[in-house]
Amino acid sequence: MDYYFGLSQTIGIHTLLGLSAYILMLTGQLSLAQVGFFAIGAYTSGILTTMFGYHIMPALLIGSLVAGFFAFLIGFPALRVKGLMLVVATIAFSQFVSLFFFNLDWRKTVNGVEVGPDSTQGFREIRYYAANGWDSGEVALFVWVIVVLVMAALWWLDRSRAGAVLRAVGEDELAAQSVGLNLTAVKVIAMTAGGVIAGLGGSLYAHSTTYVDHLTFSILLATFAIAYPILGGLSGVFGTLVAVIFIQGILVEGLRFLGDWRNLLFGLLIVLVMNLKPEGIIDARVAQLLKRTFLGGGKGGKHA
Amino acid sequence: MLRKKLFRIGLSCAVATGMLLGLMTVTHAAERVVNLAGWGAKSGVLRSFGVNSEAVYHAAIKEVNDAGGIKMGDGTMAKIELTYYDSACNAEQGIAVARKVASTTQALVGFGPTCSGVAAASFGIFQKKVDDASDSGLQFPILTDTAVRNGLAKISQWTFRNTPNEPDMYDKLFAWVRKNNPDLKTMFGGTETDQGHSKGTYAKVIGPAAKKHGFTWATGEIPAMTGQIAKGWKELLDSSSNWLMNDTNFSVQARKFKKSKADILIVSSHPFTTCGMLKELARQRVKPKVLIGLTSSSSAETMKGCAKQAEGMIIPTSFAPITPQAKKVAELAEQFGGAADLHSAAAWENIFIVKRVIEETGIIGKPGTLQSDRRKMRDGLEALENTVGLMGNIKRVQDEGEALKPYVFVQAKLGNWEVVYDPR
Amino acid sequence: MEDFLFELYDLIQSAADGVLFGSTYALIGIGFTLIFGAMEKLNMSYAASSFAGAYTGLAVLSYFDAPFLVVLLSAVLSAGVVSYVVYLTCFRFIPVHNHLASLMASVGMLFFIDEVIIHATNASPLAFPALFDEVMIEIGPFGLRGDLIFIFAISMLSTVALLLLLFRTRLGFATRAVSQQGVAAQLCGIDIHRTNGITFIIAGMLGGVGGAMIGASVGMLSPLLTIPVTVKGLIVTVIGGLGNIPGAIVAGFLVGASENLFLFLRGVNERDMYVMLLLFVFLVFRPHGIFSRRSERD
Repeated sequence: MDYYFGLSQTIGIHTLLGLSAYILMLTGQLSLAQVGFFAIGAYTSGILTTMFGYHIMPALLIGSLVAGFFAFLIGFPALRVKGLMLVVATIAFSQFVSLFFFNLDWRKTVNGVEVGPDSTQGFREIRYYAANGWDSGEVALFVWVIVVLVMAALWWLDRSRAGAVLRAVGEDELAAQSVGLNLTAVKVIAMTAGGVIAGLGGSLYAHSTTYVDHLTFSILLATFAIAYPILGGLSGVFGTLVAVIFIQGILVEGLRFLGDWRNLLFGLLIVLVMNLKPEGIIDARVAQLLKRTFLGGGKGGKHA
Repeated sequence: MLRKKLFRIGLSCAVATGMLLGLMTVTHAAERVVNLAGWGAKSGVLRSFGVNSEAVYHAAIKEVNDAGGIKMGDGTMAKIELTYYDSACNAEQGIAVARKVASTTQALVGFGPTCSGVAAASFGIFQKKVDDASDSGLQFPILTDTAVRNGLAKISQWTFRNTPNEPDMYDKLFAWVRKNNPDLKTMFGGTETDQGHSKGTYAKVIGPAAKKHGFTWATGEIPAMTGQIAKGWKELLDSSSNWLMNDTNFSVQARKFKKSKADILIVSSHPFTTCGMLKELARQRVKPKVLIGLTSSSSAETMKGCAKQAEGMIIPTSFAPITPQAKKVAELAEQFGGAADLHSAAAWENIFIVKRVIEETGIIGKPGTLQSDRRKMRDGLEALENTVGLMGNIKRVQDEGEALKPYVFVQAKLGNWEVVYDPR
Repeated sequence: MEDFLFELYDLIQSAADGVLFGSTYALIGIGFTLIFGAMEKLNMSYAASSFAGAYTGLAVLSYFDAPFLVVLLSAVLSAGVVSYVVYLTCFRFIPVHNHLASLMASVGMLFFIDEVIIHATNASPLAFPALFDEVMIEIGPFGLRGDLIFIFAISMLSTVALLLLLFRTRLGFATRAVSQQGVAAQLCGIDIHRTNGITFIIAGMLGGVGGAMIGASVGMLSPLLTIPVTVKGLIVTVIGGLGNIPGAIVAGFLVGASENLFLFLRGVNERDMYVMLLLFVFLVFRPHGIFSRRSERD
């Protein structure tokens, strides 16, 4: 069971990473910066629990708020660039963050063991869970309570005016502006929210894997962050979750029995899914179908 | 009459077949299997490490199985079965595999991983101190073959390593260089600063070892360096001319190397950037009197990439095919689709270490005894004072779970790594 | 005074080396910009297909012991083929307006091509042949690497060939028409799918030159190069202006030179941070590229 609890932790954490990119994609911003906020959350919360003995809850909170703060700062310059340029600018930002942690060296001896980020040697022994007797099942539950809360918040957001506002900006900025929406406010708020969610995910990541270094937060992980909402579809939060289960659960872990072929199939299956379902696994049609099946005869289709 | 005879013949045949089948099942049931697990990088840029380790594990296992297998605690002989997983040099996958092996298989021990980052992450989820009921970490023994970054095994009492001890090797290397070259004075060098192993070993081990044996930094004395391990490592890095592990252009660094006019040059990196740097040094006609490299570059990869430019480079290594055993392993590794080098050679040794521990601690190897067997394996691994290595006796550092492996110094000569000094 | 002169020489030398190196970045940048210009979509697997070509060239070398130019030719041709396969799998059948799906599919192809290379070579770095490897042209206190000059020349020739193709041939005319106004081009009888496919092949072939030249300049090929070269290519494309070929060329030199200068001045740990800052500066002050045109593009 340990294995499955561990896998569910991974899926939950990656869902948070995906959702942080999802909320930005709703406003039409394709951001590869989420992994940078993920990293900020990871290091901040790791430092708090490992070097200063914080309890996990305040560490998570502070980690996500610090990440959100930096996201807020990035939100403004991000307004000036669109499309491909935003992609490249956010790649550059993530590299920047990675390089910052590459150079970060802050050590402290706690209980006779030297801990803390050690630049390229990494930040190891983030052992809050094990040291406090949390078993993998309890950690999985903890992670999923948080994930469910975030998903619920975003799902509720979609049903409210705020969600419509986000999607309106993503759909057509000119039209949105002409109905009086404040583009700057919407985009910066979305970026900040994305940063907070990514920071939360990063904090959970650091404690689940007990070790982070600058190489962890690579372009590859940034690409995964946008892969989840794109593969899952932007019609709702469940798309991202399904995509994470598809990639982490099926492609990475489920296909282990294929041995060497697993890695070759990884890329190919992504290509296949994108060709078969370009709007995502849960595109508008599937979403409507699910809605009718589970909620019975909706009033109309989902918007966007 | 005939019908009765036929019936009797038929019945005897049926009974005989039944007995034979029954006997076969019984014999099959008696063929015991002891499960082991291994994991390493089978995908991604470090694939060669995983491929090599897996090849050597299978070679060693065939050797053991052909000789009858392992004698289990209840007297029966069991054959080894190994499943090798891909951890892709990714911390989450490494942890997933460790959990998968520990909680869903009968494996008695895990070999791996390849990457030090994965090791640091996976070891962190293990129970730190045995018998600490408040620690919910994994209770499963690990014996690492490749991940070589300093100080990993002591993260948990369940994790052990059979990897080379670089501080000792480089200390003896510079002592030897000093002895053979009494007039050499200065040194200069660089490393790939975003690779934990290369940078750590360069700044905390190689530099100090050279300083200890009387070599001074070519561009000016570095006061913080006392010759002790890890002292002055930041200042050393600042005074060096460094690069990153996927860099492609070394002209600036090579020029600094040239300007230093140092007697000894140190290039502490893995084959890709080592070759890039050496090629640039050759282009700029930089010829040091002594050229020192990182342990991980004493492999065939460096020869494949830049045999000509590597000519003369000296590296300490814990594996070279100079003993009959080592030669045999090198050949068998090729047969199984890999290569034996200082990283994968440990795989061979690991199989025999585990065989010995099973036989000495009386591990039963049945599903019912799994947890106690794993505990016996852990205790047995910790109790080891010496193990048999392909290059000679390996001393175990018991309180840290590390190894002190015998080593030789090799030098690149005409496309091969030739042993130039054998202190064993 | 002498010290200062030495430093100055070093500075100029670093910049010169960087410019020569930058010609390889320019090629990758041009490839990205070509495809973006034609379809307004990003092909993330471009660097990977370029290296796939270079590796094929290497395979030709090891099986047939072919001379350098044959290796280069096979690299170019195979990169073109791989690029066309990428077109079919990621751009041909995915709806035109759907940028994200094509992006993601090309990421999938990047992973796939990379893993194929890794499986075929066990991820070992392989020596790549270089012409004029040992030649150093000395101009006073400066030395220019012979092989880099050769690479620079080949890169420039390829770019000129590309520009000739784009501006002097019917095919090039069709490509430019499709990139400017797809619907109008179709109304004029231009087959969009065929044109885009050929654009991909041409871009792929250019990438094959780039990949081979990068291999030649380093002296080795390794899967470690794929992602960094992808990122550098993207930076060059953005600084040069999306869809702007001369911009990509100049940006390539600029990125190459500044990379080396930052390395020389601030060391390797901070080098990349400064390159990112350079990118940010361009994004803020010249968001439409070095040679901004009036027609604005996303």
